[in-house]
Amino acid sequence: MTKLLQTIVDGLGVGSTYALLALGISLIFGVMHLVNFAHGELITVGAYVSYFFFLHGGSWWWMPVAIIGSAMLASVATELVAFRWVRNASPFTLLLTSFALERLSHALWQILVSPKQRAFPKPSWVFYQFKLGGISFEWMDIVTILVTAATLLLTALVFKRTMFGISVRGAAEDFDAARLMGVRANRVISGAFAFAGLLAGVAACLILMRSPSADPSMGSDWLMKAVIAAVVGGLGSFSGAVIGGLVLGLLETLTRAYLPEVATGWDKFSTAVTFVVIAAFFVARPDGIFKVSHAERV
Amino acid sequence: MPAVQQMLTRTGRSVFATAALVAVVAALASLYTSSGGASRESLIAEMLTNFIFVLGMQVFIGNTGVLSFGHMAFAQIAAYATAVVAIPLAAKVKALPDIPFGLDTVHFGAFGATAFAIAITLVVGAVFGIAVCRASGLAPTMITLAALFVVEQVVKNWSELTRGAGGLSGIPRLQGNGWLWVGAGIALVVAHLFQETRIGRFAIATREDELAAPALGIRLFTARYAAWIVSIGLIALGSSLRAQSLGSVNPKQFTLDQGILLLVMLVVGGMRSISGAVLGTVLITAGTELFRQLGDPQRLDIERFPDLFLGGTMLLVMLLRPGGLLGDRDLAGWLRRRMYRRPTAEPVTASPGTAVLKASEIEVHFGGFIALDGAGLAVRPGEVVGLIGPNGAGKTTLFNVITGLVREQGGRVLLGDDELTHSNPVQVARAGLARTFQNLRVFKNLSTRENVALAALVSARHRPHRTRVDVDTLLDDVGLGEWADRQAGTLDYGNQRRLELARAAALAPDFLLLDEPTSGMSDQESLAMVNSVRTVAARIGAGVLVIDHDLGFITRISDHIVVLNEGRVLAEGTPAEVRANPQVAEAYLGSSA
Repeated sequence: MTKLLQTIVDGLGVGSTYALLALGISLIFGVMHLVNFAHGELITVGAYVSYFFFLHGGSWWWMPVAIIGSAMLASVATELVAFRWVRNASPFTLLLTSFALERLSHALWQILVSPKQRAFPKPSWVFYQFKLGGISFEWMDIVTILVTAATLLLTALVFKRTMFGISVRGAAEDFDAARLMGVRANRVISGAFAFAGLLAGVAACLILMRSPSADPSMGSDWLMKAVIAAVVGGLGSFSGAVIGGLVLGLLETLTRAYLPEVATGWDKFSTAVTFVVIAAFFVARPDGIFKVSHAERV
Repeated sequence: MPAVQQMLTRTGRSVFATAALVAVVAALASLYTSSGGASRESLIAEMLTNFIFVLGMQVFIGNTGVLSFGHMAFAQIAAYATAVVAIPLAAKVKALPDIPFGLDTVHFGAFGATAFAIAITLVVGAVFGIAVCRASGLAPTMITLAALFVVEQVVKNWSELTRGAGGLSGIPRLQGNGWLWVGAGIALVVAHLFQETRIGRFAIATREDELAAPALGIRLFTARYAAWIVSIGLIALGSSLRAQSLGSVNPKQFTLDQGILLLVMLVVGGMRSISGAVLGTVLITAGTELFRQLGDPQRLDIERFPDLFLGGTMLLVMLLRPGGLLGDRDLAGWLRRRMYRRPTAEPVTASPGTAVLKASEIEVHFGGFIALDGAGLAVRPGEVVGLIGPNGAGKTTLFNVITGLVREQGGRVLLGDDELTHSNPVQVARAGLARTFQNLRVFKNLSTRENVALAALVSARHRPHRTRVDVDTLLDDVGLGEWADRQAGTLDYGNQRRLELARAAALAPDFLLLDEPTSGMSDQESLAMVNSVRTVAARIGAGVLVIDHDLGFITRISDHIVVLNEGRVLAEGTPAEVRANPQVAEAYLGSSA
């Protein structure tokens, strides 16, 4: 029982990071039908910004502001230099454009800094432990879950209550109609990219507090998981992205913890099993958990 | 023997295009290797394997438009399958002491190992392909991505069979690049031939429009699956040859990054065009090598400049020419158009069909909204029936029920003695109902003639009992003769509507179902459309069911008019009777009229 609870807490911790990233991907997909494979690079940007500031005497007290700010700027910049110009292209073109940016980001960090990993200090309290009902937790688990919850709450408020959020949701529903209602396309899309950057920045903070280092391709691994989470949840669906992220996190930690018990010798295939489950899911429900209907006129 | 003759010209075209492309590449290659020695030969080897991989991907991705990241997974399976049967027994037992499946006693020569690898890969690919080709939207891409990770993990962890991350070496090496040239030639011929076959054309149709293709009787799954199998076969061939050319395999050769590199080659040249795939492979392979030499080989980061080159090139191509450098320009396609000879026989006219199209008591609700409440209609052979009614009357829904896009909760649809109730669009089309779409759905990247020819391919197969009218006659009938070689997406609005009419007619249907054929047209164009519809319908001997808002058009074209209102038939009769009916005027103009 203890093991199960601990596994679930671990799973929620990883899963909430996936959820934040998946939410950003889903948001961008909603407004412009782009599956943004460059989204993970925002983490890399945050990591190198942290590395740079720590070289010059940074502190974790204000580092999250720098990370989130730089991720937001970088996100808006990708829209300005690239995505704006292919806005009405096919999803295929959009996706490959984001791939190109991902590639360029890898190359630039290798050339500007180094292909090798660069480490910087972590906050001292991250791995402090405390016990609750016989289960030991790390402070970071609690911080992760609280920060994610707060961010999701903020997201919900923004998209339910503010004019900006409502415009974005309207645009996600039907871009042309939203435009006719006076929603400014450029502003809404820039805003959506800024917000996706904010979510990625928060995720980057959580990731970097645990493993404070920067390397050129660090964003890609997170990105793949986040894309899968977003698609599992149903692209364009906000609650789907969150649930998809949490489900993926739980699935990963649970297979890692329990698969060896079910079948000995299979522990090394736990990642493979996760992906088999995901593939099977897509076969059964190609549109994800929350299908976002884009009813097509014929 | 016209079929054989036709086959020969297709094959001839493919072989000629292949030979021309190989000759150009070989000339460049020999120019490059004439100085510089062995390292230059190995770059040529790399380029040739890239060719086979990229062409393999082109067959699926280029023709069906479904993005796959998973092709490297199958390359990996083929490479390891080659290794475990080709490595000499003594070396194998040493490297893999616990090898399962009794492979410790199996040894094949180069041919045997290649054939074995292709066979194994095809078996695995056939299973995965079912999942990939059944899904739509982004799901297939995600499934292939998952496949890539699964294979990667299995290879890394199943060390009894694969020796894990370290990989396997000691595969007997092929001497020189001769076999790679052969492999590249095979890949080119296969890719060209596939585009010439019926199923290959169908795959292209599914890429162009996922709704219009089934409405022409093309099954999405079958077309995609065929492309998938051919594609995986080529990938396996390329991978097995590469393993035997390098003499070793390891997981690093099959990462997502490698797959993306190949994808860049495909899209930079133009994924829809085989010539484009070849061009992209040459450009990217050469460019990557050039930028690699900028880096310092002593340092870890020799990949940084190639990455810069790849990212930059792909970004520029996507922003400036999203269809790739060549777009739809293709050597074989150009030959096909140049060699096209219009049939000399006199245009035929088909005799009218005999079946009656009958929909009765159709009921459809969407949630609580009742769209159709017992509506029905009948169209007799050769008759033109107009379907009118105010917005929301259920015209398009009734249309979609008949053509299998919307499932009815009650009622029946019959075509002669064929039960079409609850049929899907493919069955409906093959049974003899051809429809056009309110929102234009021509195959934009194909030529006007190719659009119509696709439907003719379906009718040749599934409607052999009907007289088929040749493609050019139909184009002339709708007035598109002079635009036959234009790309359909560049035709103006009215011409695209006429093209949809000709394409539907090429299906040799018993009935044409036209959904607002004059929407967005001027009065003059509408008048011309009346003639086009009548001429085409008479030519193919079909009846017509037509929806339109334009009362002038409907009364001019119809023999019989059915008026729908609120999901029910309000009135029907000849145009004159319907016009005189006070209820119709009321429904149309409001009660005050």
